[in-house]
Amino acid sequence: MSDQARVEEKAQDGGAPEARRREAGGWKAARWARRAVQIAALILFVYLLFAALQRRAAFPFADLFFRFDPLAAFSTMLAAREWLPHLALALVTVGAALVLGRIWCGWICPLGTLLGWFRFRAARRLAPRVPPRLRSVKYVLLGVIVVMAALGSMTLLILDPIGLLTRTFTTSLIPGFDYVVGAVETALVGWGPGDGVVNWVEAHFRGTVLPVEQPHYAQGVAILLVFLAVVLLNVFAEQFWCRYLCPLGALLGLVAKAQVLRPLVGAGCNGCNACVRACRVDAIERTDAGAGGGGEAAVARARVVTSECTMCLDCLVACPEHEAMSFGPTLKPGPWATYDPGRRQFLTAAAIGVGTVALLGTSVARAIKSPGLIRPPGAQDEGAFLARCLRCSECMRVCPTSGLQPSLGQGGLEAIWTPVLASRLGYCDYSCTACGHVCPSGAIPKLDLERKRKQVIGVAVIDRDRCLPWAANTPCIVCQEMCPISNKAIVLSDQRLITRPDGTQDYLARPKVVAKRCIGCGICEYKCPLEGTSAIVVLPSDPALAAGSVPGGSASPEG
Amino acid sequence: MAMEPLSRSEFLKLIALGGVGVAFLGGPERALAALARAEDDLDRAALDGDATAAHAAAGKILAVARGTSAGTNTKKAVAAIGGMRKFVSSGDVVVVKPNIGWARAPKYAATTNPAVVGTLVSLARRAGAKRVIVMDNPVSSDPANCYDVSGIAAAVKSAGGSMQIMGGSGYKKYKLPGHLLQTHPLYAAIVNADVLINVPIAKQHGSTGLTLAGKNMMGCTSSRQRMHTLGLSQSIAEINARLRPELTVIDAMRILVRNGPSGGSLGDVKVKNTVIACKDWVAADTYATRLFGKKPGAVPYIEAAADMGLGTMDLSSLTIRNV
Repeated sequence: MSDQARVEEKAQDGGAPEARRREAGGWKAARWARRAVQIAALILFVYLLFAALQRRAAFPFADLFFRFDPLAAFSTMLAAREWLPHLALALVTVGAALVLGRIWCGWICPLGTLLGWFRFRAARRLAPRVPPRLRSVKYVLLGVIVVMAALGSMTLLILDPIGLLTRTFTTSLIPGFDYVVGAVETALVGWGPGDGVVNWVEAHFRGTVLPVEQPHYAQGVAILLVFLAVVLLNVFAEQFWCRYLCPLGALLGLVAKAQVLRPLVGAGCNGCNACVRACRVDAIERTDAGAGGGGEAAVARARVVTSECTMCLDCLVACPEHEAMSFGPTLKPGPWATYDPGRRQFLTAAAIGVGTVALLGTSVARAIKSPGLIRPPGAQDEGAFLARCLRCSECMRVCPTSGLQPSLGQGGLEAIWTPVLASRLGYCDYSCTACGHVCPSGAIPKLDLERKRKQVIGVAVIDRDRCLPWAANTPCIVCQEMCPISNKAIVLSDQRLITRPDGTQDYLARPKVVAKRCIGCGICEYKCPLEGTSAIVVLPSDPALAAGSVPGGSASPEG
Repeated sequence: MAMEPLSRSEFLKLIALGGVGVAFLGGPERALAALARAEDDLDRAALDGDATAAHAAAGKILAVARGTSAGTNTKKAVAAIGGMRKFVSSGDVVVVKPNIGWARAPKYAATTNPAVVGTLVSLARRAGAKRVIVMDNPVSSDPANCYDVSGIAAAVKSAGGSMQIMGGSGYKKYKLPGHLLQTHPLYAAIVNADVLINVPIAKQHGSTGLTLAGKNMMGCTSSRQRMHTLGLSQSIAEINARLRPELTVIDAMRILVRNGPSGGSLGDVKVKNTVIACKDWVAADTYATRLFGKKPGAVPYIEAAADMGLGTMDLSSLTIRNV
């Protein structure tokens, strides 16, 4: 059912027909404006996702939504103990909340917009049964995030709504979309006019809307399930996530207690409940016991809880009475509801936050000096990196080889969904600096190409029991061929011509790694022709290895 | 003081300068007109073949053009083997396959010279090709980046051709001649093209000794690893037997003599100012090994291809034209 129909059907319970004809035109226009802004913001959001899809140079504002996200900005600055001017745009969102409340939630937030479109019939029946106290969960989550950030942990930023939606697109929706397109194309190739269609699609969309390489992400399913869970919670109430869970909504809600411009219920209210029913987040409270009827009310019978209101304006459209509802300035703080945060919620949040940090800090990942994670170039200081990483997946999506993957086990739960380079899936491109340029929080520094090419992120190690020339006397020099270092960090030794069983000749030579030249880009591991595990793998670098000498052998064969 | 003997190209340059000088005696307009006429003549010859080519047996000429201009060399070489119209007919869909395997600037000699590619595209267009598509499946970095950094995208665009990115769904498995691969995935648009022009750059290579025309066809497959493990030289011969390029032009303007095929250091680059053209890629590759001071036997895939009857390694059976 459309917004329109729903509101009007509800309005029928209340006011008389002539009352419904009151001049709501202005508010209707405002509501259309809100929908237009929501859709425009969602389109911009999706556009920015594709502007940073497997690129070497992404649109400079690819991280725009994160820059306006005060939860991301505040937690990062707190955890990193550093003023990050890049994220200062978030103050605009906070300022907007002081004047117009949670306008971000109802007008801008792409997750909020999407959740508004997933409506379930059951929600109308079930919503009244959801206890209002549940609304304090979001404040507790916010508290936990703040306490953990104060202790240097950013792990729970996985709950940031912008990050949640971005990550879902990166790791499951966009790869799935490309997979479907690829499957249809494969079916069409070689079938009459199919070739033409495929060629046209490939020529026009490959590299922009369609990723160059089919991306594969380690946690795609888990990340999608989190998103689906958030969507399915709408079964219990409209915008369930926004009402009860969203920590960014909680932060803006607290600011919105001081909201200056807001919907006001005036003395003209006849208590018809039209606004209460119209409200998608159930943010309007009755202030009298008796509902309905009664024409001579001297005081307002309802009020808007500013910390819950997402400024959708449906109430103003729904109100059948002249002058009962208005929109205007007031300096009175928004009403304090029973579920609003208090000492109890604060203590709970502090306990959970401290406990979680303690638990994460005792994971085995912390017991090993370098737990084997290959981080993006420039993010080699693990502590500083974890204190800044938003787990937003921007770097993973922009990575032209999709080698950057959301981690799960390697760094412990603390590092969940932070980027690690899985060289068997994709390597760090020698001519690319994209990840540092899209990172919203500076967890991955912006490096110029010159510096990035010298940035050691790991070192390649050959397994001579699996390497074809070493273990099976079979010619192969793929790793040496691929090595992008101009004087080669992989050299060939013992080169000679051999005759294969079928009488044809090939060169046999044995590759060796020159650790002091290797930067750990991983193209060798990626391209190794062995099935399954590569015979050359990138491991964390150690200065002792890099200090070694160059092994014998030459990069060129003797002809 | 001993005077150094003039090389052929220097001698030709002197003659040309003298010619221009003489022409100047008749006034600058006539000199410019003479230059323009020479340019026109070369363009016409590149399409229809020069006077000598008309008398030689079809496909039995190997042209070696030398000079500092890659574009002029390409035109002269194509003219010397009979002109582009010998290979491209009106309405053809032409695929030009350079080596764009790396995201390296042209000066590093890791990718085919953009002027050579651009000239071939423009000749094919003027010979009446309906479409000229240029592509490669780069082994490192993503295609769009390699296309841009190599300078080939810009050259192709201004010559009236188009670049295509070889997406995964464009490959189909084909039956191949030979005993090793049997079937192998190749890019359908290349297999189905009316004319395939192979334009490699000559480089040192760790597993095949050199990478020339035959090895360059590895950019037409999505499964290089299988070729490496099964037997590279024979695999290269077998995919060439299916792809059968109509024309091969080897860019040896700047060749990579060490640390190939990726390069990245100017110290590994040698300037040869040479472009080789031949209908027979085996012959072209055989000739190109000379530029590296190697014997054709040092590049095993050339022998494997000759054994399959894809071309000849016996250069005395061809007319070699130095132009």
